[in-house]
Amino acid sequence: MLKVDNLSVVYGAHRALQDISLYLEKGEIAVILGANGAGKTTLLKTISGLVQPQAGARISVNDQDITGMPAHKIVEAGIALVPEGRGIFGALSVAENLELGAFGKQAHKGQKQRLKLVHEIFPKLAERSSQIALTMSGGEQQMVAIGRALMSNPQFLMLDEPSLGLSPLLSADLFKSLTAIRKTGVGILLVEQNAKQSLAIADRAYLLETGNIIGQGKAADLANDPAVQKAYLGGASAK
Amino acid sequence: MSFIINGLLLGGTYALIAVGLTLQYGVARIMNLANGENLVFACFMAFWLYTAFAINPILGIVIIAPMAFVINWLIYSYAMRPLVNRSKTSGQLEVNSILATFGLLFILKGLMKFSFGGGYFTYNYLAEGISIFGHNYGLNRVVAFIAAAVIAGTLYLFLNYTRYGTAIRAVAVNPTSASLVAINVPRASAFAFALGGALTAASGALLSSFYTFHADMGMDFTMKALVIVIMAGVGDVRGAVLAALMLGLTETAIATFVDPGLTAAGTYGLFILVLLFRPQGIFGRSNS
Repeated sequence: MLKVDNLSVVYGAHRALQDISLYLEKGEIAVILGANGAGKTTLLKTISGLVQPQAGARISVNDQDITGMPAHKIVEAGIALVPEGRGIFGALSVAENLELGAFGKQAHKGQKQRLKLVHEIFPKLAERSSQIALTMSGGEQQMVAIGRALMSNPQFLMLDEPSLGLSPLLSADLFKSLTAIRKTGVGILLVEQNAKQSLAIADRAYLLETGNIIGQGKAADLANDPAVQKAYLGGASAK
Repeated sequence: MSFIINGLLLGGTYALIAVGLTLQYGVARIMNLANGENLVFACFMAFWLYTAFAINPILGIVIIAPMAFVINWLIYSYAMRPLVNRSKTSGQLEVNSILATFGLLFILKGLMKFSFGGGYFTYNYLAEGISIFGHNYGLNRVVAFIAAAVIAGTLYLFLNYTRYGTAIRAVAVNPTSASLVAINVPRASAFAFALGGALTAASGALLSSFYTFHADMGMDFTMKALVIVIMAGVGDVRGAVLAALMLGLTETAIATFVDPGLTAAGTYGLFILVLLFRPQGIFGRSNS
């Protein structure tokens, strides 16, 4: 289990996150919904070690404390992040991007099988193996980013707005592949603006507003909650 | 015709120092104005090894390059890392590192002047002719070129076909993402900085076999390397080799057909043209 307790983050005088606590089980999808500036990206960055939390926070993976560890150690502990804007290595080939995903020693064993799995989930990556990643379309680059994260043999995968900039058709494909990844036993923490599609595949959801968690529950319940519908689903009642 | 071969021979030695600088700048994000001092240090070491122990400069690289690697690792760890940690943006780091390495340049130059004096040095290694396509060239130059080609080729294979080499290129492209795939970015940066220094030192050892050197010349070579790196696009190893050969050819052509006094003017003329019309470098992709 990935567990976050009392996480606060301050940027200068600005408090970005306030006493956040959440958890993620293996094999489940939890989605974090919130408007721009709510602190979603900061939350994922802090769990990944790119941003340091205030004293008093505790982040753990299967009871191993990873608070304050550098980012490369946190990947080795089993947490992978697909960052906002994908963060792929544009000048490198698709194959090199995937190979680098398995750079950490936690991912050396079984690297070949995982590459096969990634190619099964995203067949396009097998076809385009030698292509320079920068020259691919947005949807394909997102596949590279997710594939690279999967290559690191994560127990928990975090994605920061993966559907951003994708057509409705492509984002439907994307959400489908996330459920395929969940089936392999990986826990997925998803940050999304696309509340409808993400609630449809998620098990649980957290509502984040100006740095605070203001609500949480089963994804199905939240999808039917009028207040949630008003705030995140454009007011249209989804009966 | 002979100017082409002369130009390529000269460009071959430029290539290693330029590749060294491009690793330091492109991966470790340090614009190292003191990089030329690695080259001068290696010239003196090669001279000393050859005259005192009869170790030839090619073999000398085996001693000199690891020494330069360690020295540069220490310079990065103790003089550069505090700047890296303190700088909030890459622009800030660039300014800080230029100022810091500019200071470092004078410290290193002073140390070398103190140790070796301000005189001109040269020694005779393979100072005989070899005929290529009917023209005579210094054998030491040809051997130095071949050694440089072997070293550059080895580096290319390392960067493109090994796990750690690929990781080094990944750090050059995107350090944040590199840390997200479990690459220890601070260590990879130190490694690239040290490797860059070692390559530059290797080029110095080769250069000393046919070039009259002195303690003051480091800056000239840093500037040449800088011109090559900007021409090639920062962090582009293959481009740096090609641009170095181009610069060697340009310099030799100007010296042969116009006037030897104008070579530096030609170099910087080329530099300004590239900056004006291809700021991302001749081989660089725009905005990558």
